[in-house]
Amino acid sequence: MNTTTQMSDSALVSLYISGNENAFEQLVNRHKNKVFTTIVLIVKDTYTAEDLMQDAFIKAIHTMKSGRYNEEGKFSSWICRIAHNLAIDFFRKEKRSPMITLEDGSNVFNTLAFAADSAESLQIQEDTVARLRELIQTLPQTQREVLMMRHYADMSFQEIADATGVSINTALGRMRYALINLRKKMLNGNIAYDKNIYSE
Amino acid sequence: MIKTSTQNELIQYVYNELADDAREQLEIALMHDNELADDCSDLLLIQRLLDGATKTPSDRSINNILNYSKSLSLQS
Repeated sequence: MNTTTQMSDSALVSLYISGNENAFEQLVNRHKNKVFTTIVLIVKDTYTAEDLMQDAFIKAIHTMKSGRYNEEGKFSSWICRIAHNLAIDFFRKEKRSPMITLEDGSNVFNTLAFAADSAESLQIQEDTVARLRELIQTLPQTQREVLMMRHYADMSFQEIADATGVSINTALGRMRYALINLRKKMLNGNIAYDKNIYSE
Repeated sequence: MIKTSTQNELIQYVYNELADDAREQLEIALMHDNELADDCSDLLLIQRLLDGATKTPSDRSINNILNYSKSLSLQS
């Protein structure tokens, strides 16, 4: 049994800095999906996102190995922040328009785990989440930023408020409008919105 | 009409960030206010959908990262 599986991120970071590679593997596996999703939602290209995700973790490796890691914050927020900044930098350098690149013509979010498992309901779920991803891109930038930080970077609303220089009430309000807007857009687009499909 | 402060607390509640005493008060309100309960239900539904919208990177990329780290350890 792997003894690192139940450890906190902070403990894993300490172990890794002291030379335990298994601890780092645990950290990577624990956070890879959120880091990758954070990047995909910005660059909209899975191949570019794969490269940037590697860059993000390599940057984290160097920071931890050189003793510059600040243990005050959460590891998940820190690594997703690195990923977010790299993705934004990529866009600035490339100065290009968003473009969706899909593997094998499939939906971007093709690795979903839902309760229902019939082929038809799975297809509906995949279509719904793919559409949701597109709708996230249509949100105002401030709302999209809060949504991504909370959902994919595991940042608390207070942490988001501090990071974006607004009050916690403003951060909460932006999140509320983001969720309300997404719901409205989904209903307006006649997207499957069946509570039974998404219940546990 | 639901107050903005209550709406913000609802967001904190949905994301498990509401303090215990405020959470208890909100849960009491949810039992008596259908509009608030409906809003809460809608928020939870969207939240679950967003949580499911994660993408998994390739094994090759993950192996590249792990191998890079190991190579650094061997050098030091």
